[in-house]
Parts: sequence; C-alpha cells; structure tokens
Amino acid sequence: MSYHFGRGREKLIPYLLLLPGIFFYLLISVGPSLATTVYSFTDATGIRGAPIHWIGLDNYKEFLLMGQASRDNYGALGRTLIFSFFVTTIQFALGLIAALAVNQRLKGSNLFRTLYFMPVILGAVIQGLIWSLFLYPMGGPMAKILSLFGARSEFLGGQPVEAFAWVIIVQIWANMGMTMVIFISGLQTIPAELYEAARIDGANARQVFANVTWPLLTPSVNTNLLLNIIGSLQAWQLFLVLLGYRNGTQVLGYVIYAQGFGQTSGSVTSAFRQGYAAAASVVLFLLVLVIGMTVQTFLRRREERILGS
Amino acid sequence: MNTSLKSPLRLSKPVNWGRLGTYVVLLVFAVVYAGPLLMLVNTSLKTLPEFMKNATALATGLNFKNFVDAWNKANFPRYLTNSLIYTLSATLVYIITAVFVAFPISRRYVKGAGALLTLFVVALFLPPALIPQFQLMLRLGLYNNPVGYIMLFLVNPIGIVILVNFIKTIPKELDEAAALDGCGYFRFVTSVIFPLIQPAVATVAVLHAIGIWNELILPTIYLTNKNYYPITRGMIVFQGVYGSNWPTLAAAVLIMTFPMLVLFLFLQRYIISGLTQGSVKG
Repeated sequence: MSYHFGRGREKLIPYLLLLPGIFFYLLISVGPSLATTVYSFTDATGIRGAPIHWIGLDNYKEFLLMGQASRDNYGALGRTLIFSFFVTTIQFALGLIAALAVNQRLKGSNLFRTLYFMPVILGAVIQGLIWSLFLYPMGGPMAKILSLFGARSEFLGGQPVEAFAWVIIVQIWANMGMTMVIFISGLQTIPAELYEAARIDGANARQVFANVTWPLLTPSVNTNLLLNIIGSLQAWQLFLVLLGYRNGTQVLGYVIYAQGFGQTSGSVTSAFRQGYAAAASVVLFLLVLVIGMTVQTFLRRREERILGS
Repeated sequence: MNTSLKSPLRLSKPVNWGRLGTYVVLLVFAVVYAGPLLMLVNTSLKTLPEFMKNATALATGLNFKNFVDAWNKANFPRYLTNSLIYTLSATLVYIITAVFVAFPISRRYVKGAGALLTLFVVALFLPPALIPQFQLMLRLGLYNNPVGYIMLFLVNPIGIVILVNFIKTIPKELDEAAALDGCGYFRFVTSVIFPLIQPAVATVAVLHAIGIWNELILPTIYLTNKNYYPITRGMIVFQGVYGSNWPTLAAAVLIMTFPMLVLFLFLQRYIISGLTQGSVKG
C-alpha cells in the first residue's frame, strides 16, 4: 500500500504514533501472558523486594502430585469441567430458544431482548448481589417458590454441591443474553427467500428449522460454543461474589487467584504464592487450549460437511 | 419469521398457535429476568423490620431512606468519583492510542501490519497475565497507585479488531485526496478519519468503559487504600458490613446499577452490535 502523506522521514510518523498503543499492549498484556510460564518455575511471592529463585518443576509437582493439596486441585479441576459443561450446554440451548422467540418480531420483541441482555452489562458484582437477595433463604422469592412444591434449600449457604449448582444457574442467567444476541445476528443473515421457498414446498416448522435455520446458523453455533467453553472454563468471579473461597466449591480460576493474592478480604498480607499460582495458570491455560482446539477441529469438520469448504 | 407471508387465499384467521407459543416462551424468560430485578427494587423501598417480617411482600410506600443511608454510609460519592475517573481517563487514552494503532494497520501503512493484527487476535487465547502483571506493577512502584491502576486498562484487543474492520469500509481515495491538498498524517487521522469512524469508536468506547466500571478482580489485587476503591470494590466492602441489612444493601446496588443502566438503554444499539461483531470476528 503506497503511503501518501509525505516521503523520507515523514514516512516514520505512522510508526511513531502507533508506538504508544503497541507498547502498552506488549507491556501489560502480551509480555505478562508469556512470562506466566517463566514465573511458574520460580518461588515468586509477590512481596516487594523478596528474592525469586528458580525451582524447576517443583510447583507443578506440588500442584499435581503431592498429597491433600493436589487432591483438592483435582477436585477444582473436575469442578471447572463440570461447571463449563453445564454452563455451555444449557446457556447454548436457552440462548437459541430465546433468539428464535425474539426473532419472530412480535410486538414487544425489542423490549424482551433488552431485558434478557441487561445482566450482561451489569457485571459480576451486581449479578451476584441481585441473586444473593433473590436466593435469600429466610422467605426470599426462591425459597417461597420452592416451598410451593414442598421443597426447601439453603441455597448459597447449603451443601457445597447445592451452592455450586446455584452458581451455575446465576452464571447462565447472567450470560445467556450474550449467546442470544449472537444467535439473533446469525438468524438475521439467513435470506428470507429460503424460508419462502421452504414454505412453498410445504415444509412444516420443524422441517424448516432442521433444514434451513439450523444448518445456516452454523457460524453463530461455532462462535457461541467456543466463546462459552473458553469463557466458562476461565470464569470464577461469581464464585467470589456469591460464595467466597469455600471448600468443595472452588474452580481453577479461583484457586489461582487465592494462591496468588490471598483470600478476598483484602487486608490479608500473608505470603502470596505467585510462582505456584503461575503454575496453576499454565495448567488452566493448557486445559483451555486442549479443549478449545478439540472443539474447534470438530466444529470446522462439521461446518465443512454442512456448508461445504 | 414468516408472519408477513400471509396466504392470500386464507379468509378466516384461526388461532395462531405458533405466535401464542412464542409469547409464552418470551414471558417465561421475562419472569426469570425481571423477577430478581423487581425483588431488588422492592426490597430497596422497604424498612428492615418490614423485610424481616416478610421478605417478598410488596413495599407499602416509597421509602427512599435506604438510598440516603446507603449513600452516606458507604462512602459512595468517593467510590463513584473514583470509578468515573478510572473509566473516563482510561477509555479516553485507550481510544486515542487505539485509533492510531488501527488506522495504519487497516491501511497497511506500516510494515508487518498483518502480523500486528494477528498479535491482537491471538490475545484472546493467551494465558491469564495476572501474576507477572502484578510482579511488573510492583517493580514499577505502581502497586496501590491510581495511575498504575488506570494503566491496566489501556489495552483491549477486541476493540482494535473492531476498529480495523470498520476503517476498511472508508475509501482509500480519501487519503490520497487529503494528502494532495497538503493534509498531514496526524491531522488526517484526527480531523478526517476520526469523525468518519464515530459509530465504531462509540461501540468500542462503551464496551471498554463497561468493562472498567464492572471490574472487580483488578481493584481487589491492586488497590489497598480505601480512598482509591472503585464502586465495585466499595460495594463488596459495603456488603461485608451491611450484608444482613438487605434494604440498604439493595438501595446501594441500585445506586451502583443506575449509571450503567442509563448508558445501556441509550447506547444499546452500539453495545450489542459491538459485542456480536467482536465475537464473530475474534
């Protein structure tokens, strides 16, 4: 591409002006990302001026192989996978249903879309507090609904498994709008003529969905699946707001944070095990990478089969 | 999707089960989404004894005392001001630097433009930078420092990708013509390109601002001085102290929600288009 704004040294101006943006990006994001691996081989603490030693694979050995701590880590690993599985599948299904309903363009559709999407912009703190109130165990709305069926729950204060399940529900509530919006934008790219043709051929609603909507929705299906899988494997903020660091509920992202920066209460100044946390970050990254790549490969094959390469 | 395709031969209109079913689905979702929000509003208008007696009963009147209490007890003016300063300054600096990154990449005015763009796309898959980032800020003496905190938000790869794609839709002949008229590079980007890419800039700015406003983890890690807390961190502290006083807490949550809600209702179009664009491209 030829550059029109002067010659010689003036050609350097774009580079000069580009520099600040790139500099911050490398300094704050890319550099630290890559350095995570390096730190995972050290005993870094996070205390200013404390010496850092190279300790090889010790952090990984401790994380994966040593006693009760590693058993807890495998527990967190398992919960991360369970969390991701339920969040991804349920959010995907509900997002699709909501998108199909909103996209019918009935009266009030936009209002409904706005409502469903709203939690996405409210952020984890508000999402979490709203649900803490809704799940108020002593006569809150959900407690009353359950009592109609003769059931009761301690909700977030109950058994770890129960509390964990509620976090899954809140996570889906909070992010379903995002999935829906991506599906809606996909639905809007499907040409109306195709629906018309299917109708003329006498296809019923189910056939239209199976033969027109679903295959042509493939790009949004892929986007949503990948985003949801990667997002839910790394998500843990709602655990912090809703439960705090509670045994039997932690996911890997929260373990990393707690090991690296201590507990949530802020005033904690105990030794932060940042090298160990970095090793846990690498484990999480590998998990995301392996699952992400596998799903991506599967989705690409499926797309080629449906839409042609 | 096919309500507009009415058959001309059909004379009487039977009950449209498809439409009815759709409304049922829409309403079920609406209850699940509006319910928790209404509970919040309702609780914020009640007194504590009222709430203790019956958590779900409707508020008997418009009791705004909770809002006054929350405002005074929670140090909210300070937290809100901090959040506003962090959000506005980081978004402003980010947008300026981002436009100067996106424009030459989109136009290929710099060598390695393609590689640079890839660098921004790859960011989505990189491991979390939390630990080394902390070590870096500590060493730079920017721990527990508002300037350091703002620095953390001068990065947003998806924003760059959105801007690059939008700039591609602006004809290159414009560059040539402006250059012939003696317009310099800096002035061209600031006074010609910038106004033309306003829609994309608005999208990116709003998305970035929402992210900063809602951020909870970074202020927890980097800010220990209460005077520097943004509203999210302040909210968690407030919850710790007034956690059992739900009416006041609910009022506090609403105070915190209000700015985002207004922003969202006015700029909904930009937010949604930006999110879908960014996610599909990324």
